[in-house]
Amino acid sequence: MKRTSEESQSRLPDNSALKQQQLPAYWLQLTATGVLSGFFATGVFCLGVGIILILSAKSIKEIEIKYTKICGNCAKLREDATNFDKECTCSIPFYLSETMQGNVYMYYKLYGFYQNLYRYILSRSNSQLMGTDLKDVGTCAPFSKSHDGTPIAPCGAIANSIFNDTIILSYNLNSSIPIEVPMLRSGITWWTDKYVKFRNPRSKNLSIAFAGTTKPPSWAKPVYELDQEDPENNGFLNDDFIVWMRAAAFPTFKKLYRRLNRIQYFTEGLPAGLAYTVTGAVTWLAFFSMMAIHLMLKDRKMFFTEQ
Amino acid sequence: MREGVVGGGTLPLTLPWGARAPAQKALRWRSVKLTSARQWWCFSEMKYIKCFISEIPWNYSWYYSAMSLVESQSEDRQSEEQVRYLQANSRELNSTFGYPNNTIKTSRYSVFNFLPLNLFEQFQRLANAYFLILLFLQLIPQISSLAWYTTVIPLMVVLSITAVKDAIDDVKRHQNDNHVNNRSVLVVMNGRIKEDKWMNIQVGDIIKLKNNQPVTADVLLLSSSEPYGLTYIETAELDGETNLKVKQSISVTSNLEDNLGLLSSFDGKVRCESPNNKLDKFTGILTFKGKNYTLDHDKLLLRGCIIRNTDWCYGLVIYTGPDTKLMQNCGKSTFKRTHMDHLLNVLVLWIFLFLGGMCFILAIGHGIWENKKGYYFQDFLPWEEYVSSSVVSAILTFWSYFIILNTMVPISLYVSVEIIRLGNSCYINWDRKMYYAPKNTPAQARTTTLNEELGQVKYVFSDKTGTLTQNIMIFNKCSINGIIYGYGYDKNGQRVEVSEETEKVDFSYNKLADPKFSFYDNTLVEAMKKGDHWVHLFFLSLSLCHTVMSEEKVEGKLVYQAQSPDEGALVTAARNFGFVFRSRTSETIMVVEMGETKVYQLLAILDFSNVRKRMSVIVRTPEDRVMLFCKGADTILCQLLHPSCRSLRDVTMEHLDDFAFEGLRTLMVAYREVDNAFYQAWSKKHSEACLSLENREDKISDVYREMEKDLMLLGATAIEDKLQDGVPETITTLNKAKIKIWVLTGDKQETAVNIAYACNIFEEEMDGIFIVEGKNDETVRQELRLARKKMKPESLLESDPVNTYLNTKPQMPFRIPEEAYALEGNLELELLRTVCMCKGVICCRMTPLQKAQVVELMKRYKEVVTLAIGDGANDVSMIKAAHIGVGITGQEGMQAMLNSDYAISQFCYLQRLLLVHGRWSYNRMCKFLSYFFYKNFAFTLMHFWYAFFSGFSAQTVYDTWFITFYNLVYTSLPVLSLSLFDQDVNETWSLRFPELYDPGQHNLYFNKKEFVKCLVRGIYSSFVLFFIPMKTIHNSVHSDGKEISDYQSFSLLVQTALLCVVTVQIALDTTYWTLISHIFTWGSLGFYFCILFLLYSDGLCLMFPNVFQFLGVARNTLNLPQMWLIIILSVVLCILPVIGYRFLKPLFWPADVDKIMNRIHLWTRHPLLPPTQTKLRHTRPRRSAYAFSHKQGFGALITSGKTMKDKVFKKNSFSFKK
Repeated sequence: MKRTSEESQSRLPDNSALKQQQLPAYWLQLTATGVLSGFFATGVFCLGVGIILILSAKSIKEIEIKYTKICGNCAKLREDATNFDKECTCSIPFYLSETMQGNVYMYYKLYGFYQNLYRYILSRSNSQLMGTDLKDVGTCAPFSKSHDGTPIAPCGAIANSIFNDTIILSYNLNSSIPIEVPMLRSGITWWTDKYVKFRNPRSKNLSIAFAGTTKPPSWAKPVYELDQEDPENNGFLNDDFIVWMRAAAFPTFKKLYRRLNRIQYFTEGLPAGLAYTVTGAVTWLAFFSMMAIHLMLKDRKMFFTEQ
Repeated sequence: MREGVVGGGTLPLTLPWGARAPAQKALRWRSVKLTSARQWWCFSEMKYIKCFISEIPWNYSWYYSAMSLVESQSEDRQSEEQVRYLQANSRELNSTFGYPNNTIKTSRYSVFNFLPLNLFEQFQRLANAYFLILLFLQLIPQISSLAWYTTVIPLMVVLSITAVKDAIDDVKRHQNDNHVNNRSVLVVMNGRIKEDKWMNIQVGDIIKLKNNQPVTADVLLLSSSEPYGLTYIETAELDGETNLKVKQSISVTSNLEDNLGLLSSFDGKVRCESPNNKLDKFTGILTFKGKNYTLDHDKLLLRGCIIRNTDWCYGLVIYTGPDTKLMQNCGKSTFKRTHMDHLLNVLVLWIFLFLGGMCFILAIGHGIWENKKGYYFQDFLPWEEYVSSSVVSAILTFWSYFIILNTMVPISLYVSVEIIRLGNSCYINWDRKMYYAPKNTPAQARTTTLNEELGQVKYVFSDKTGTLTQNIMIFNKCSINGIIYGYGYDKNGQRVEVSEETEKVDFSYNKLADPKFSFYDNTLVEAMKKGDHWVHLFFLSLSLCHTVMSEEKVEGKLVYQAQSPDEGALVTAARNFGFVFRSRTSETIMVVEMGETKVYQLLAILDFSNVRKRMSVIVRTPEDRVMLFCKGADTILCQLLHPSCRSLRDVTMEHLDDFAFEGLRTLMVAYREVDNAFYQAWSKKHSEACLSLENREDKISDVYREMEKDLMLLGATAIEDKLQDGVPETITTLNKAKIKIWVLTGDKQETAVNIAYACNIFEEEMDGIFIVEGKNDETVRQELRLARKKMKPESLLESDPVNTYLNTKPQMPFRIPEEAYALEGNLELELLRTVCMCKGVICCRMTPLQKAQVVELMKRYKEVVTLAIGDGANDVSMIKAAHIGVGITGQEGMQAMLNSDYAISQFCYLQRLLLVHGRWSYNRMCKFLSYFFYKNFAFTLMHFWYAFFSGFSAQTVYDTWFITFYNLVYTSLPVLSLSLFDQDVNETWSLRFPELYDPGQHNLYFNKKEFVKCLVRGIYSSFVLFFIPMKTIHNSVHSDGKEISDYQSFSLLVQTALLCVVTVQIALDTTYWTLISHIFTWGSLGFYFCILFLLYSDGLCLMFPNVFQFLGVARNTLNLPQMWLIIILSVVLCILPVIGYRFLKPLFWPADVDKIMNRIHLWTRHPLLPPTQTKLRHTRPRRSAYAFSHKQGFGALITSGKTMKDKVFKKNSFSFKK
């Protein structure tokens, strides 16, 4: 039961533009001139970008070497899981017809390796990798703890399946003495990963810091012994490790492995015309998929097709 | 193409009371019959005919019956209480029965039960329940594929928005309740009068009510300040009638008067029926001092009534609070849902099926993948222990994907729809152009759930009185002794159109004149002043021959209580011209004649009836002459005239034709001087006839006929039944919008037709009017068939419309089954087929229930949106039955308004409500829905594509936070601004081109086809948005050699591209770019980037490393040139086809609307070409409408002397029959 109270004041609605739906506005209309000029402008723009991209793509040189078959004996060795820590080496010579000028990057590329599986991608512990809580392995199933209940560091399926082939590029200056091409293993990660996201536990001695944890089951060495040459490149801060931990979006992916150190013969890049040898030291891990060395000059951009 | 309708408002409410129960029963029986579904094939519409359905009026029980029809049997509530016992002034005894006190409660929640109750109600909605189930699914670790918060946060937001809205509504209800419950009332307690609050009143209390006070509860009238315990009440709030009704207490209690001692010692016991919702029914027995007195509803003052013209009255409280008839009646309001709601439910079901299909495909894919690849991948990622085979895994994946793809069913859809409707309702409330200054009432959207349906109306069912017309009668012209008065003249004596500027006649010479009365012809006043005998006699007859009552609270300020507005207008006219009817007793009439008070002795009132169509009074003048004054319909009166006034009659008839031509309601006035002896003889016969037991009615009318003959013609009056402002223009506009207007009226055919012509429902160029007025099944059927046969061949010629009147001849009031046969059984279909071919339809003599039946008929057999508009309580059933009910807040009380979905104060606002607000609401809602579904499809289907590259492992493409915020934050504001501010054309154009309304009627902008289009568009967009980034990044690297194909970068890339695409898409959908649209649209995009940097910031990610995992991704990825090129390319590829389609479609396949839009755009660009609007022609048919109150007058009551305050009169008038 509602009675309108005797209204003494006027109930005339406010005369605001909002309430009267008369806000000043621009009427968008699809006019012929607008649409057609928009069409052509977009066309010209895309064409321009396309041309630039094609040109820049042409200046990039790329070599891809697959060694899955060539190193087939190693692959066979790995089929028996008990042989996981046996070393196996194979070499692949190849010939560079042109000089690769500028920066040269070496990648490894995996085909059909599903780093993007739902359970796989979750199987890591960011708080552990930050070095704050080594024992936080709650999200790492199925590789969170060893059989005796010791937490694994680094835990999880991603870390456990790290790519651990060693690839050495040699340059045959003369036919007899191969020179090992100097390669940098630094600067291959995101700055934020290396300096913010991944931290070692605070301690002078890494092996003490990682006390109370165990290595992942598939690893031959514990995490603090990953790089015997450079002690700074150990623990969670190992560049190769960080690169691997950034999971790929698609089953076929490549990851940056080394950068050319432009010294001695290689200040201009990789000289052409001479024979190189790639030595793959397939030490810790092997799998069914193929591998490749991917050398490239400058960066390669996507190819833009004109629609 | 257009249609016509005539409608009728109020039905007689002042007929003798009683004998209504059978009618009610019958009505209910019919309603049952009506609801039985019937096979029906839709007739192709050939709308060239006007129809009239005219039916007999019920007596006034209709309203209550209608109520009981709509509010499905709600009277079972008090099944436990069979009979109510109570004793006056005995709280102890009454409290043993446990009757409720007088508190009313319309609120739904209290502080304590709000949360559980509200949540329970909300989870009854399909979508909310679905998300709750989803939440539980997510809690199962085996299938959980999304973080819990992706569902919980949106669900919480949606639930809390709705809860807040419900809470606000309920607080308002609480305030209302408190206001009502705390009103004060006077209670008789222990011999004293005490003031108390309404809510403390209890059954058995005796309360005192004063003039103009609302009645506190349902009380039994005990005594009043008026003689015989009469009390006048106004029942506007109950049934909408504004005319006064009289209640009378039984004599034994009326003797208590205002003696407080007697009243407080009054210990009568009442035994009465249990509370029910029948407003016109009450039976009980009062036992006082050992005697039993029967009580009926005539003694009961109902809560909600207002005491009028009665200084005070005392009553015994019978029903309180929730038991009152008012509360019993207003409980259940039927919840209306729009077509869009139904469509949405269907679409959500479709989406479910689609979702299930996708999940099934993905689950199979997963099974295959696990078999071929996953099995070998176990070196790196062993299966869970509970996964024994790929089949188990596939089954689990099905549910995982079910969770991931949940965004297909948009959780915020319903809440957004509600917000949009609320906003658009506010616009209606805020519209100054629908504000009616004289009444200080803005338009009011009482329902906030029907807005878009306003843009789809196809049929408008309109009441006539008070809706099309103002229900104000104005004395406009008259013809006295062959001279016509009333036209306006300018200074040169030229006849001019009366307008605002025309000088009004100055009535200052008459102190008793009504200041509101206006007249434009000075010649009449001059004739008056000159003392023209005929003019004087004419006005004398007007001031004497009526049943109006006068009230003079302040000296000189007369208020007339007229029983029909026509009479009031005539008496007021006489008053202004100098023959002031001042007061009356049962035997005298006091008239101030040009300042000189004269008392006429009232000898007899020969009252009006539907058959007689005239009324007369016989008076003895102060000069001791016996005079008879008569007024009535021209057709009748002409036959009664004395042969000597034949020439005058011919002239007057010509004048009457003129009046009718202008659409005025006419009456003839005549007099007769009666020989004293003849009168004495007649008087004897009259009283004999009155006392006779057999055929009394016939005998009385014979006696009357004897007196009413050889009349001398005085002249004729013309009363304007004022149409509301802008009604013809509105109807023309609505007709152009192809909205069919039917008039459903309780009024008579002649009046209805007249109004229909006046307001352009019928037009002169429509030929062939069919009147269907068969008396039984067969004749009606034949008439309908005949009409159709006649129309069919002609319907081929568009220019040759045919009209039909459908008119069922009135029958005797209580022979119900026959009366409504046009609406019954197999005739329903016949009727509908015929009527749908008509251009205009008028249904006369409709009872409220029949009005509702007509609406129901339309609703049932045709897939169209119906709108009913009315102002009175007799329209309530129709308003409730129609898809949209519009109430006119007018003279007839609040009932229609209270039951309506939209309340406007003028009929002409309807065109604005429909063509502007409705159209915008519909367009906005459609745009909103298409966009909303599109954006969710584009968003969700990405997971589907990604499944093929992620081993069907239920991996999401996006960051979980993006999933959480996408609907809620990133895309909600632009779409809200679109659906609150968008206008395709402004209001001027929508009113000027009513044709723009057409797409809504056929629901062209959002239907299943449009939905499929959205789906296809969504699939296409997601395809582009997934594969362009994928192919781009898969072999590309950063300039420093770092690869960019990692999962997190890809997520960021895809989600940014998606957001850009949907933003550009909505920018394209928005045609009306206000500042707010800019802020919302571009602001949302900017806001996305802000949130992105926040969510991916070092601080947050370091604090919660396992919740926020995307540390540094924004910084590393957003500076990639590839990223921006991908976004540009995706946007171009997604939008270009849409632009192309939108641009080319009107060029190659233009719809009617497109052509109009083109013209509008042309005009807006070249404003030099003003659009021409054809001026309305006001041609009126020569159609005379006898307009007189179709109710029986107060005649008997007046002569009985009951209404007179003067107690000196003899009590023998008790013979007056009730």
